[in-house]
Amino acid sequence: MFLSFISRQPVKNTTAKKPSPGTDPARPATAGEPLLEKSRLSCRHLDVFYGAKQALHDISIDFSGNQVTSLIGPSGCGKSTFLRCLNRMNETIDICRVSGEIKLDGEDINRPEVDVVLLRARVGMVFQKPNPFPKSIRENVAYGPRIHGLARHRDEIDMIVETSLTRAGLWDEVKDRLDEPGTGLSGGQQQRLCIARTIAVSPEVILMDEPCSALDPIATARIEDLIGELKENFTIIIVTHSMQQASRVSQRTAFFHLGHLVEVGSTEAVFTTPRHHLTEEYITGRFG
Amino acid sequence: MITTIFGGLLLAAAAAYITGRGKARRLSDQEKLHSRPVYHGAWTGLAGLLPALLLVCTWMAVEGPVVMRLTAAGLPESIGRMGPAATGLFFNDVRNLLTGAVGPGQVRPEAVAAAAAWRHYLRLGRSLLAGFAALAMAAGWGFAICRIKPSFPARDRVERIIRVILFLAAGVAVLTTVGILFSVLFEALHFFAKVPFSDFLFGLKWSPQTAIRSDQVGSSGAFGMIPVFAGTMLIAGIAMLVAVPLGLLSAIYLAEYARPRVRTVIKPLLEILAGIPTVVYGFFAALTVAPMIRDLGASLGLDVASESALATGLVMGIMIIPFISSLADDVISAVPRSLREGSLGLGATRSETIRRVVIPAALPGIVSGILLAVSRAVGETMIVVMAAGLSANLTANPLKAVTTVTVQIVTLLVGDQEFDSPKTLAAFALGLVLFVITLALNVIALQVVKKYREQYD
Repeated sequence: MFLSFISRQPVKNTTAKKPSPGTDPARPATAGEPLLEKSRLSCRHLDVFYGAKQALHDISIDFSGNQVTSLIGPSGCGKSTFLRCLNRMNETIDICRVSGEIKLDGEDINRPEVDVVLLRARVGMVFQKPNPFPKSIRENVAYGPRIHGLARHRDEIDMIVETSLTRAGLWDEVKDRLDEPGTGLSGGQQQRLCIARTIAVSPEVILMDEPCSALDPIATARIEDLIGELKENFTIIIVTHSMQQASRVSQRTAFFHLGHLVEVGSTEAVFTTPRHHLTEEYITGRFG
Repeated sequence: MITTIFGGLLLAAAAAYITGRGKARRLSDQEKLHSRPVYHGAWTGLAGLLPALLLVCTWMAVEGPVVMRLTAAGLPESIGRMGPAATGLFFNDVRNLLTGAVGPGQVRPEAVAAAAAWRHYLRLGRSLLAGFAALAMAAGWGFAICRIKPSFPARDRVERIIRVILFLAAGVAVLTTVGILFSVLFEALHFFAKVPFSDFLFGLKWSPQTAIRSDQVGSSGAFGMIPVFAGTMLIAGIAMLVAVPLGLLSAIYLAEYARPRVRTVIKPLLEILAGIPTVVYGFFAALTVAPMIRDLGASLGLDVASESALATGLVMGIMIIPFISSLADDVISAVPRSLREGSLGLGATRSETIRRVVIPAALPGIVSGILLAVSRAVGETMIVVMAAGLSANLTANPLKAVTTVTVQIVTLLVGDQEFDSPKTLAAFALGLVLFVITLALNVIALQVVKKYREQYD
């Protein structure tokens, strides 16, 4: 799989310094197993700055396909910022600068000739607050396929809408009211609609930024089940504040602290035998 | 005198407030009050102040007629027999005497006597008023003080009074609108008594000249509003053709693309357009744009009137740009960032996001902004007076001279006019039409907003 490299938007500044891992004596390299033999998505030496403030320090991590990786850590630790690097959403923030290497299937997504539009079709995103467009349920799901020209006829659109809503577990609830506004659904339904909207463009990776933080426990449970089903077909990276959620849905867990990636490993290992004392303190609830 | 009464009442109310609060405080030492002492104080103050104020306001409203009636009752028989017109003139003299516009030597001795009587009744009335107001104040104050006890719900009472005051404030605006409507409506009815309604509404000829003498030529008068109305729509239409695209596109640029520094420069500059007096736009239209368009038309072999609808509409459009752009800028900026990110996150480009998500979400606000701008364009007078001319041509050709409703109202009412000829009364009929049109536009704007408003939390 390769990207068609038609550049529509240049990448902002990629010339910041690139320290090698482990050279900072105050910060040892990430504990656990950040790097993998086989990976879909890999980051090396990622630094992010908001203006003069450095939000992420030298992050290197791999993500393997068909697996859920959760990013945990206290508020402000940079996990959302990291997630937003993976589909270059940080470019929408004027003062944000990203440097380092992020490879999706071996292609560096930060190279200037990469088309960010196609990148975001491959790396979809679900946001913290459900954000359905002020359109009908059908048009919400059809939005992505339409802008990418994936479907020309009404039948094709209807097909995509039905499949996406079915995979998001929403079809039975909304099939009789596809023309009603998406904003009229309940919070949990809206979030599943947003997931349907994301999978309608058939991405390879789905980024989820605290997708359940605005939902009640029942809606949360449905989304978590859904994530479990979706991992068969997608690479999923989820930011969560809930360690229970991380342990329920993910196979790998990465712990961020103050802009550093402290520890990565299998979820079981991170939660039962953390190698770094910060990880241990966080998961046992001593801070966070 | 009135100022003194008002000042005294306010001072008394302040004193009542302090006594009420003091009594409540003393009570609160012994047991728990329903309301905090300040509310008891406020209630005491208001209980005294409101009846007294009501009394004062009522007297102020009826003072003139009452004093006049009393003065008239004391006048010699001869004045009463003069008939209503002469009596009116007589009282004019009395008023002029009172304000010092004429000296006592310039009018009849009866008028001087009447003025003295007037002054006497006025002083008497105001003294009585001061007395009764003080009485009402004291009664309310005492009544409220006696009722202060721990269980008295002063807070609820004060809240209720505040609600009534706020309601009255809102009511003033509504009543003014209703008053304007009726004043225009009654004059317009006088007009329709002289000119048939259907002739006015559907007539194709506007020529509001009526004969002073029956032997005058060309003095029949034609009051068909269609040409005037069509001229208004033509000019407003041209103005909107200029203002809507330019205003909307500049709003999109400012809200979505402009860097903060550019925005802080451009936005105020754009809003300066709204601050230019319309007279100045009128100069610009009449002296710069109209000749330019005429010359341009001449070089293309077109026959352009020197006062063309096109020139007027273009300049009016420029004037309206800031209305649309700043309203649209506000509603576009109010579209939540999460919607933009949702669209961008699906791989939409910036312009796709704006076209397919941001603008639809902001549409109700944009539409209502545009409709408000239309009301503004329809009601605009000065530019049209100066640049569009007075000839009521029924035409859709923007290169011809046309006239508008507002211009005709101005020309009909400027100068000394008799208020019983159809010529003058026609102005009110036109005003009524204008009122109805802008009212309808505003109602539609509100409905559009209500229907398509999306709830963001």
